[in-house]
Amino acid sequence: MESGELNRSTLAALIDHTELHVDATYSDIQRLCLEAVKYGFASVAIHPVNIPLAVKLLKGSTVKVAAAIGFPTGAFTIDGKVFETEDAIKKGAEEIDFVMNVGAFKAKNHSLVADEMQAIRKATGDLITKAILETCLLTDEEKVAACQIAQQSGIDFVKTSTGFGEKGATVEDVRLMRQTVGENVGVKASGGIRTTQDALAMIDAGATRLGVSAGIAIIEGLGE
Amino acid sequence: MKKQALARTIKTGIQRTDLAEDEVRQAIERAKQYPFIAYAVDAPYLELAKQLFEGTGVLLTAPVCYPLGGMTLETRLDQIAFAIKVGADEINASLNFNAIKSGDFSTVLDETKRLAEAAGDNLDVIVIPQFFILTNEEKLRLCHVILEAGVNAIKTNGHGSLCRPEDIILIRREFGNEFSIEASGGIRTTAQAVELLELGSNFIHTSTPYSVLEDAE
Repeated sequence: MESGELNRSTLAALIDHTELHVDATYSDIQRLCLEAVKYGFASVAIHPVNIPLAVKLLKGSTVKVAAAIGFPTGAFTIDGKVFETEDAIKKGAEEIDFVMNVGAFKAKNHSLVADEMQAIRKATGDLITKAILETCLLTDEEKVAACQIAQQSGIDFVKTSTGFGEKGATVEDVRLMRQTVGENVGVKASGGIRTTQDALAMIDAGATRLGVSAGIAIIEGLGE
Repeated sequence: MKKQALARTIKTGIQRTDLAEDEVRQAIERAKQYPFIAYAVDAPYLELAKQLFEGTGVLLTAPVCYPLGGMTLETRLDQIAFAIKVGADEINASLNFNAIKSGDFSTVLDETKRLAEAAGDNLDVIVIPQFFILTNEEKLRLCHVILEAGVNAIKTNGHGSLCRPEDIILIRREFGNEFSIEASGGIRTTAQAVELLELGSNFIHTSTPYSVLEDAE
């Protein structure tokens, strides 16, 4: 996809409208959901605790409820993350964004990371499933290896960041991830994307989904 | 304050996204040189930490819904069940901050009761109210709810925040000695720790215990 071909509604359809602040209120979740419907965002990305409210507010709309799993450290057991995933789905989550076990990955325990990704893939069935690599903590070689494990595990999207790390998405990381996974796996850029220009640069680098809190400013910056 | 005495007020641990097993082992071996009260690690390393601390008397702390408070009650109960299974001694449970900030204290009361029930006699429950993001009115209301739920231990803040001395004063004034208070959030120096203890904290929770001990005698 080339960013020059996008209009407001096709750009909105690439955005996960995100609210993960520790001090968010029910009104913030309500606002998020109403905005997502109004602008036609792909999903609202929220903590599992807010799924029931979002499900009610989004009923009958095309906006999906995306649950943040294993946030923000990914430092949970496989069983723990699978439990959280299944519980989120039971409550109405329609997409799953999980943080991979970065600690095990850094220790080169690739088989544990693959087991985890496969177990979550199995738990999510047909639902869109995104693996967060937390790229700011990885070397380029590690980013490539993590993308390959995700791809081999049948993950739908490789995703750069939680938004809670030192740094968010970079154009270079998105390009590298896209080069690694080819055309059949999505790439989600997230963390620190605040302007229309940032968003379009990520799309030109190969992102097919954007995780942002500033979705409205990004859409409105595109012009009519 | 003497180093040994100060160490006996400290709860610490190692929790980081990119933490590999070797680093956990090294950190625990170093921690064992001091009489710290408790040590926290994330779920994947609880069993390892249990083995390494065997026979030392150091309490093992399991985090629950840590640090963002955004997990469902069911997930938190699952994490408590795991903490019991691996033989942890206590939990640090983040409360549902979105509910607190929405003024929904009845949900917080129900959930906190359920956490306490699930822990039963197997685990000491320490909840994290995250004072850093609360108004004074919210802090007091929340602490009444915590007591009503049958929990009497708080760790003032989670990761990435700053412990304010005035919060310790506030809780001691309102509740006397009803709470065990673990001051936490950005405590890096001996002076900070000593001040918080003098104001009435029972424990200091810090991820940098060696810098906290540095200026002690």
